[in-house]
Amino acid sequence: MTQYQDEAPVAGRRSRRAADPVAAKVVEVLIVGAGFAGLGAAIRLRAAGITDVAIVERGSEVGGTWRDNQYPGAACDIPSNLYSFSFAQNPEWTRGYSGSREILEYIRGLARDNDLLPLIRFQHNVEALSFDGGKGLWTVTLSGRDPIIARSVVMAQGPLSNAGLPNMRGIESFKGKMIHSARWDHSYDFTGKRVAVIGTGASAVQIIPELVKIADKVKVFQRTPGWVLPRLDFQSPEWTKALFKKLPFSQTAVREAMYWVHESMALGMIWNTPMTRALELLGNRFREAQVKDAWLRRQLTPDFKIGCKRVLMTNDYYPALQQPNCELISWPIANLSEQGIRSVEGIEHQVDCIVFATGFEVSKNGTPFPVHGLGGRDLNAEWSRGAQAYKSVQVSGYPNLYFTFGPNSGPGHNSALVYMESQIDYIVRSVGQVAGGQLKYVDVRADAQKKYNEGIQKRLAKTNWNSGCKSWYLSDDGFNSTMYPGFATQFARQMASFELRDYRLV
Amino acid sequence: MQLDIDKMLVKIKNSQWALADIDWDAPGRERVTENVEQYAKLKVFMADLMWIEHVGARAFAAMAKKAPNDTLAEIYRYFHAEEQRHANVEMALMKRWGMLEGDHDNPILPEPNINLRLVIDWLDTYSDEMPLEVLGSVIPSLEIALDGALCKFLLDTVQDPVCHAAFEKINDDESRHLGVGFHVLEMMGYGKTYQLAVRTAGTLLNPKLLIGIAAYLPLLNRMRDNLVKLGLKEERLYEAMNKYKKIGGRTEQGRRNPWFQIISRQSAMVVDRKSLYHVPVDALVRLTDYYPRRWLKATPTWVKGLTWKTAA
Ligand SMILES: Cc1cc2nc3c(=O)[nH]c(=O)nc-3n(C[C@H](O)[C@H](O)[C@H](O)COP(=O)(O)OP(=O)(O)OC[C@H]3O[C@@H](n4cnc5c(N)ncnc54)[C@H](O)[C@@H]3O)c2cc1C
Ligand SMILES: [Fe+2]
Ligand SMILES: [Fe+2]
Repeated sequence: MTQYQDEAPVAGRRSRRAADPVAAKVVEVLIVGAGFAGLGAAIRLRAAGITDVAIVERGSEVGGTWRDNQYPGAACDIPSNLYSFSFAQNPEWTRGYSGSREILEYIRGLARDNDLLPLIRFQHNVEALSFDGGKGLWTVTLSGRDPIIARSVVMAQGPLSNAGLPNMRGIESFKGKMIHSARWDHSYDFTGKRVAVIGTGASAVQIIPELVKIADKVKVFQRTPGWVLPRLDFQSPEWTKALFKKLPFSQTAVREAMYWVHESMALGMIWNTPMTRALELLGNRFREAQVKDAWLRRQLTPDFKIGCKRVLMTNDYYPALQQPNCELISWPIANLSEQGIRSVEGIEHQVDCIVFATGFEVSKNGTPFPVHGLGGRDLNAEWSRGAQAYKSVQVSGYPNLYFTFGPNSGPGHNSALVYMESQIDYIVRSVGQVAGGQLKYVDVRADAQKKYNEGIQKRLAKTNWNSGCKSWYLSDDGFNSTMYPGFATQFARQMASFELRDYRLV
Repeated sequence: MQLDIDKMLVKIKNSQWALADIDWDAPGRERVTENVEQYAKLKVFMADLMWIEHVGARAFAAMAKKAPNDTLAEIYRYFHAEEQRHANVEMALMKRWGMLEGDHDNPILPEPNINLRLVIDWLDTYSDEMPLEVLGSVIPSLEIALDGALCKFLLDTVQDPVCHAAFEKINDDESRHLGVGFHVLEMMGYGKTYQLAVRTAGTLLNPKLLIGIAAYLPLLNRMRDNLVKLGLKEERLYEAMNKYKKIGGRTEQGRRNPWFQIISRQSAMVVDRKSLYHVPVDALVRLTDYYPRRWLKATPTWVKGLTWKTAA
């Protein structure tokens, strides 16, 4: 999938730390976060000969998303063969869409097999980054620890890693148990409990069918119904596992096929095309087939175009809602009270536990922690009216700093890891320019960044995301700095070319 | 006068209340239950009122789908729920007054009359397809009748303090419904007059709307007569209709909304018992009495969501 147009020298020089006593304390590349992106970046950097890599991780384990999201039913919604790294394929996936634990095992395997654990400093929480233009070095400030100095920094802290209870009226008065989907409390026993689930997004539709099996009563509070499409999940038969092990290219072929199936979905999901209608028709048929009652069906019918928000892939959500111990409540929530949730129809829904499947705090404007670049400029301030970057990975004025899942890199239709791999490969090449210290830094030219973003925003204007629906993809004033308006293939092609003229080398 | 609907939404969110905020066991029940003369009529009135609120709720649900922007859609989602809350409160009052049939702890919903059933049927089948102009113009006329005539009348008639406490909250909600209602009524008067007229004519010819009108007019007449039987002064209805005409027509845009014109004329005729309007509509009322029940669709499940319980 990745094809280099060789213009720039590919990284290959070894760092010569020992030569310079001052630089001895300088880490060549510091990576923030030990999720898929951070670990993937470390693997690829080392493969390119850049070995002086350190990873700081605020948690005490690798895995990021998949370490945190351990709620019942947690699973990926892109087939595992595609939701894994192309350079580390796994013939052992037990299901088409693997569960959270299995994905976490896979990530642990990545760290173990590539000998990454010695690089990771756990319980290191990054509080700020600031760049010294004279020395060409980043100072990484950590909570309660000495700072680290690094030549390049990769911000791989994850797009969806900050979970918190939402700011709902009366939340402080609720006396029962409260659990966020991304901070599951496995010690809480749901058996026989009355449970409310707030939210009906990607996590909720996985949690609800599991809770319905054990809880006494499940009340699902819905604000906006999403599009639901059937998921073709299956248990991997032994013969495919054996085949994939013996002939790895057969798994690559399956992966390629899945990749193209998802790519073709872009046609319907990203832009408004006849394919959009076809997918909506499929969604409508699926709902009609699965939901018997007309009013419930109406409550579950989305009023925005498919693709405008994340499509929910599930076969058991609708059936779960129709179980006798489950109830969908689409009245708006007025407030939480001591004993439950009061909705606007005036009734208090009394429960023992509230599960918040309310998503994450996504930094659409601003950065997760302060970042100061050349001359002390403040990225948070620059991004306050919508984040912008060059090819999603770099920002002018912040040399040697890289993002995974930076502005406009989000996929709506394909595996996040496909996007991530092309970002990582791009980062490796750029880091290679300064590794070793011959160059002080590489900085994207402001005009190149501006031109890139004009192109992106022009293309975004034609997408379903910007078609007038509210979603976490858009900032409050409707600016889309989240999604990439195109095929994964286009994104990969853009990331495969490295335009030296777009940079300032110092 | 333009309403700031963003501020309105905030205000709505800040003004929420629940059935549990009312002390349902407070003294005063006997002021209704011991008034033998009034009791039976009040029972019919309360059931009708509850159903009207409930039907109004469903209309807001349809309007939410047609709202021209997200804020208004959200407001209508709230109003849908608030009307349901009003219906729940009225059911709770009936429970308090022992007006619900069936088991004490598990009473059954009062049976809606045939005209209500027809309107419920129509709302369930077609309301989601109606352009906002139709429901957006009818709803304020009903709300003003409810607010100005029915509720005032009820409070004049019923001395139970719990009823007064409940309706203080309901009226508070209704004032916001009216504010938004008239705002939208005006909003729909923008555009070239002839275009408005052509569009209106087109909608009026829609057979689905005609069915709706055929269901709605007899309901209005039946309700009107029930009310008068109960002792409601006809002047009260006149006043309410004049208010609709006055507020709805206070601006050029409001007056130019053809639906406003149609509805203010039609309601004037409903109120005036001597109008020739009543000849065909009364005939319809009598006809509906013979409407075969088996032609009705099964009661939609949204009707089953009504409850008198403060907690579930
Ligand atoms: C429930 C759920 C299901 C998903 N399913 C799919 C799917 O099916 N397909 C798909 O393509 N994508 C899916 N995603 C998107 C998913 O987030 C990405 O695919 C991917 O896991 C992101 O990896 P990451 O390494 O970028 O971030 P993360 O996995 O979030 O890792 C970031 C790491 O950085 C650490 N960190 C954060 N801030 C700091 C700091 N200040 N200092 C130090 N460390 C820090 C965090 O602790 C975390 O370990 C899903 C997301 C969620 C939440
Ligand atoms: Fe009401
Ligand atoms: Fe109202």
